[in-house]
Amino acid sequence: MPVISPSAFAPSAANDAATPVAADLREKVRRLERAHSAQRAGQQAVSLGVPAIDALLPSNGLLTGALHEIEAGPAPSGRVASHDGAALGFAAHLLGRFGTLRPNGTLLWCRRPFGASDAPPYAAALAAWFDPARLLMVTVRRDEDLFWAMEEGLRCPGMAAVLGETRATDLTAGRRLSLAAEKSGVPALLLRGQPAPPQSVCTTRWRVASAATHSTPGLNDVGASRWRTELRRNRFGAPSVTETPTWLLEWNDEAHCLSVVPQAFHGSTRESDARLVG
Amino acid sequence: MRLADSRALVPDLVTTPGEPQADHRLIETLANWCDRYTPWVAIDPLGGALAEEGTEACSTGGFGGDAGLLLDITGCTHLFGEGEAGERALLADLTERLARHDLTCRAAMADTAGAAWALARFAERQADLYCPPRGHREALARLPVEGLRLDAPIVETLLKLGLRRIGDLYPLPRAPLARRFGDQPLTRLDQALGTIVEPIEPRRTPPAFRTRLAFVEPIGRPEDIAAATSRLLAALCRQFEQAGVGARKLEIALYRVDGSVDRTSIGTSRPNRDNPRLMKLFEEKLGELDPGFGVELMILAAPEVETWSGTQDALPDSGAIAASLGEDGTIDLADRLALRLGAENVVRLLPRDSHLPERVQTAGAAALPAATGAWQRVAGMKGARPTRLLQRPEPVDVMAHVPDDPPSVFHWRQHAHRIVRAEGPERVADEWWRPRPDGSRPPANIVPPYRDYYRVEDDDGGRFWLFRDGAYRMAANGRQTARWFLHGFCA
Repeated sequence: MPVISPSAFAPSAANDAATPVAADLREKVRRLERAHSAQRAGQQAVSLGVPAIDALLPSNGLLTGALHEIEAGPAPSGRVASHDGAALGFAAHLLGRFGTLRPNGTLLWCRRPFGASDAPPYAAALAAWFDPARLLMVTVRRDEDLFWAMEEGLRCPGMAAVLGETRATDLTAGRRLSLAAEKSGVPALLLRGQPAPPQSVCTTRWRVASAATHSTPGLNDVGASRWRTELRRNRFGAPSVTETPTWLLEWNDEAHCLSVVPQAFHGSTRESDARLVG
Repeated sequence: MRLADSRALVPDLVTTPGEPQADHRLIETLANWCDRYTPWVAIDPLGGALAEEGTEACSTGGFGGDAGLLLDITGCTHLFGEGEAGERALLADLTERLARHDLTCRAAMADTAGAAWALARFAERQADLYCPPRGHREALARLPVEGLRLDAPIVETLLKLGLRRIGDLYPLPRAPLARRFGDQPLTRLDQALGTIVEPIEPRRTPPAFRTRLAFVEPIGRPEDIAAATSRLLAALCRQFEQAGVGARKLEIALYRVDGSVDRTSIGTSRPNRDNPRLMKLFEEKLGELDPGFGVELMILAAPEVETWSGTQDALPDSGAIAASLGEDGTIDLADRLALRLGAENVVRLLPRDSHLPERVQTAGAAALPAATGAWQRVAGMKGARPTRLLQRPEPVDVMAHVPDDPPSVFHWRQHAHRIVRAEGPERVADEWWRPRPDGSRPPANIVPPYRDYYRVEDDDGGRFWLFRDGAYRMAANGRQTARWFLHGFCA
């Protein structure tokens, strides 16, 4: 229950729209409404660049000031890659999209390394989505430190987005991150290397698995990266036809854009492909 | 006198073995403690030398009592009072506090280190220990020549000649004296009289900026320490402002009632004199400090400062993000994170012009990001790169139909990955112009080691970055073999 300070009721201030008190009040009302409405009016949203997906999201895009989770999904064989380049690629795409809102803002990347066979993100590839010079890389040893560092980052005014790479599922930490993001308007992303039990704190949850690419006809080369992307949670968003909207997305490394692969070109007869939207 | 002789004279003589190391440690601790009066504290080189030789010191009659400390208190006495009164008060305070720790000492104050040394050892009356400014010439005249810090043979000869007091040397012509005894007596005399400078070499480089706060009653509660830190910081920040500098490192020292000192320091990645920001950094660290039985004095010093105009400087290159950084709080965030997680864990990624993929990405200071576009330039020169790069390439078992063909199956961590699509090879040769890890240079006339990189996709849709280490070689069993490694994971 938010507490409204008595000074907010001062009549002279309330009448004057330009005073900070009135703006403050309006902001409080907006927050109260936002918590219950599907609109989250006034909050900025960043288009994902894929019209089919944007149509389902509130305000046609990913809300800033919210927690978004990306988890690496299982491959068609059911195996989950211990290190997944695809989920990281999708997360980098989201970071890049959020980064456009504050072109000079810092991107905070917190991660906890996993032993000797650790595979940190490689900036030469991330340059396709955003300028790696904007990254502030933070390495932690404990999950508490990771969530603490992310929260500190969310409170920092110059931050464009905060990403945390972890395997921990901490409901309290997730809620704290969500609140901190909502308060500051800085988007928070959680990147998980494996599917996690669903938690209700995040605004959107994505499951991304790498999918077979399309070779140049006659050659056997690796085509543009394709990701099977599921939107498993879509708070405040429009209801979709299917329970879990799924798309096969293709990242064009030359045009730097993400697009949905039309169903006819899947070259696959898997059952999950039949549930495509778009 | 030897120990055996002493025992013969006094049969129930109590003896303890000398512990020069322990003595030295005690002197070190005392020197630390003396930082409370001045940052210029030195261990007397003569006393120290004797203490290190140990038994020698005892046999020459020193009994370890030769150890001494030299304090340069120039500009420090005003904290105890004005003018001569302040100097006397400092001297009295020093003696009294040491007495409280059961340490017997004789402290003298004079214009020169040599005069103070002589007075502390040879002054006959207690009142002579304090020598008023410019009074050291008369004070020294009454003292024996031993007070000049001369070698024992010289002192012996001087005594034989009837030159017992330092004052006896004043009227003597200098040239014959130098011919007879060498440089030492004249140098020492000039040092004691202040005609030549004798600098004190401090143990720690004294910081240019420091503030101190002494308490009437020892404090111990964390809130009190925080409040005191805040006051010290405010005073120090005013000093910074006048000098036009910002702190890169700050050190706070707690002088506890039991004579020990506890220190902690904070670092900032950018010169800073913003009181609330620095205080926020200190708040993280103050918990580590142990006030013990109470703190009677706190000193805040800035060992590292940098010139800083206070406003954001113009950018060296227009595109650098550093511009907005200082203003938007990222630097403060980085400092806060670095304080808790360690500075090596809060980094920027910097590109490096290198062929080897693992050398392209390096870590740099949080305050200095790469220039805008530097990464784009580096990335643009390379082929497709993985989004994750293994810190150490992991060996994999590979089956390839024909050597030089991309592999058809590879085994990694007990899983077989059947390769459906492959791209490559991209040949990356070793950088022959760089010395090897052992420092030797690779010979110029051989082909440098190289790797052939392949981007492959398995039947699950996973994309990997593999490389073959060099060419195929003929193994002992007559089969062609090569070593393959997994180096990264592609998007």
